[in-house]
Amino acid sequence: MDSHLPSADALFERAPCGLVVTTEDGTILRSNDTFNNWLGTERATLLGRRFQELLTMGGRIFHQTHWAPLMKMQGSVAEVKLDLIHRDGQIITMLLNGVRRDDEHGVYYELALFGTQERDRYERELLNARRRAEELLSQKTLAEGALQQAQQELAAAYQSAERRAVFAEQMVAIASHDLKNPLTAIRMATQLLERSEHRERDRRLLESIASSSQRAQRMIADLLDFASARIGQGISIRRERVDLQATVEQGLGELRVAFAHASIRHLARGQGQVNLDPDRLQQMVGNLVANGVSYGDLSYPITLTTDLRADAALITVHNHGLSIPQDLLPSLFEPMTRASDRADTVRSVGLGLFIVRELSEAHGGEVSVRSCAVYGTTFSIRLPL
Amino acid sequence: MNLQQRNNVQVSGTGSATLIFSHGFGCDQSMWSYLLPHFRQHFRVVAYDLVGSGRSELSAYDRIKYAALDGYARDLNELIDAFAVGPVIVVGHSVSAMIGALADRLQPGRIAAHVMVGPSPCYIDSDGYVGGFTQADIHSLLETLDSNYLGWSSTMAPVIMGAPGQPALSDELANSFCRTDPEIARQFARVTFLSDNRQDIAGLETPVLILQSTEDMIAPVAVGHYLHGVLPNSQLCMIDNIGHCPHMSAPTACSEAMDGFLAQWAHAHG
Repeated sequence: MDSHLPSADALFERAPCGLVVTTEDGTILRSNDTFNNWLGTERATLLGRRFQELLTMGGRIFHQTHWAPLMKMQGSVAEVKLDLIHRDGQIITMLLNGVRRDDEHGVYYELALFGTQERDRYERELLNARRRAEELLSQKTLAEGALQQAQQELAAAYQSAERRAVFAEQMVAIASHDLKNPLTAIRMATQLLERSEHRERDRRLLESIASSSQRAQRMIADLLDFASARIGQGISIRRERVDLQATVEQGLGELRVAFAHASIRHLARGQGQVNLDPDRLQQMVGNLVANGVSYGDLSYPITLTTDLRADAALITVHNHGLSIPQDLLPSLFEPMTRASDRADTVRSVGLGLFIVRELSEAHGGEVSVRSCAVYGTTFSIRLPL
Repeated sequence: MNLQQRNNVQVSGTGSATLIFSHGFGCDQSMWSYLLPHFRQHFRVVAYDLVGSGRSELSAYDRIKYAALDGYARDLNELIDAFAVGPVIVVGHSVSAMIGALADRLQPGRIAAHVMVGPSPCYIDSDGYVGGFTQADIHSLLETLDSNYLGWSSTMAPVIMGAPGQPALSDELANSFCRTDPEIARQFARVTFLSDNRQDIAGLETPVLILQSTEDMIAPVAVGHYLHGVLPNSQLCMIDNIGHCPHMSAPTACSEAMDGFLAQWAHAHG
């Protein structure tokens, strides 16, 4: 069979891969026709040159730092990809397998090279795809990091706001509670003193003490309501069946005592039982009357009307006097808003109307206001039945 | 972290002075294996892998720390503190010669001498300086690295073919030699070949032995002369060798040159 095969030399020269034999330092001792053809060179021009001189600069450094040490230490390398330079300057990518031979004649390297242009192109595409993927991944990682930080900041801000709210609520509750007790003591002492005979001047002083402490008590109630409406669970109401007119009339009696300097009329229309919170109803009426007394022209009476209809209870409080400026109307029911700038001893802390609105809404109703110089100012509460 | 594991530190030999062997770009401490046995008789010998190379702890690789040679220099000083006894001579190949010089600058006086094998403070040519490469050459290298590491899969472990007559290496050694995570290799190549340490090395007064191959494309003879010129206490020793690894291809010439230079420490304390 062997006789039919070409000689070993011919097989070497025409092998389907480049074959090169070098010394340890890379000097080419022999290269086959296939390799010479691939590089476009004659055998004679390669002999005596160093193999690494055929490589691109990157390949030469790689040879020095990687595969020369590997050949030395391990005696072989496999599948090293190298760019060789064709005689016309074109770059040819090849895969290299190499073995170190160490025999009685000395050390030499046998190298086999395979063209790998197409595979190289494919690998470069893979490499580019991986780079793109890595870039996207790093962008995603960055974005996630930013999102996480934003969430942490948000959570921290939320916690801090919550702490402030709890603190404010506790402050208001503690202050109101602590203020209530001395006020109650003042009122009881005043009532006891009022029972005995007094000179005119002392009687007026006692009246002043009584009305001032009542006003302070209303302010505390307002503050508590404000705290629970704004930073707590909202104002709660306890509905029960009561007589509308009787409830309003009872509250009015107390108001007439508190605002003895003002004249307060009550126009009642319709009679009957309603299902609402009587204390809160009196509080709403009280706040509106106090507001009328504070800002109205007291040479005219304050007029309270209660109108019991089939579907709703309508309560209005009217006063004469300067109208509320138009630009204040939209925010009139917000806390700390006042219809005038005057520094009056009778005004409250600016929570009264806000609480009226909150209480109306807690009853499923609403409050509105109309104000003009001619007809005065009217607040209307509509509570559905 | 355990320094021994981080840098795969191997201590051997006995002596009153310590030689620390620091490998260059591309491989690991096993490239010293032709040289080490000679020195174990007279020195404490410490060999290690740079973090990211060989069998070092890859998880210790911090892209920010190792974005400059300083990171490696700090590691070297830590290893000196932990493993060295007596006077310390750093034997650094290629980029490690610069790592040794930087470590010396960071802690002056700790290193008694340097043996620099194929050193280069700057690989890229600039005005009046011959480093041997252009910027384009280095980018060509980075591309070559990329395509080879892709071919060699994520932990670069080239297939070992049978090599008749070659003394058998342990599998462990064979598998770790030249194995590098491609991402680390890419950054290390940039740090190695793009850094310019001429300012750091000029005027370093520690004694230095430069082992310069007669033919080395990576550290050309001109670079050896340059270093000899800027290092006041240096000796330049030409090693008749082709290639960048005289300690592998001409180990005897290297050890003979080093013996003369190291004599004072080898016999200092008997």
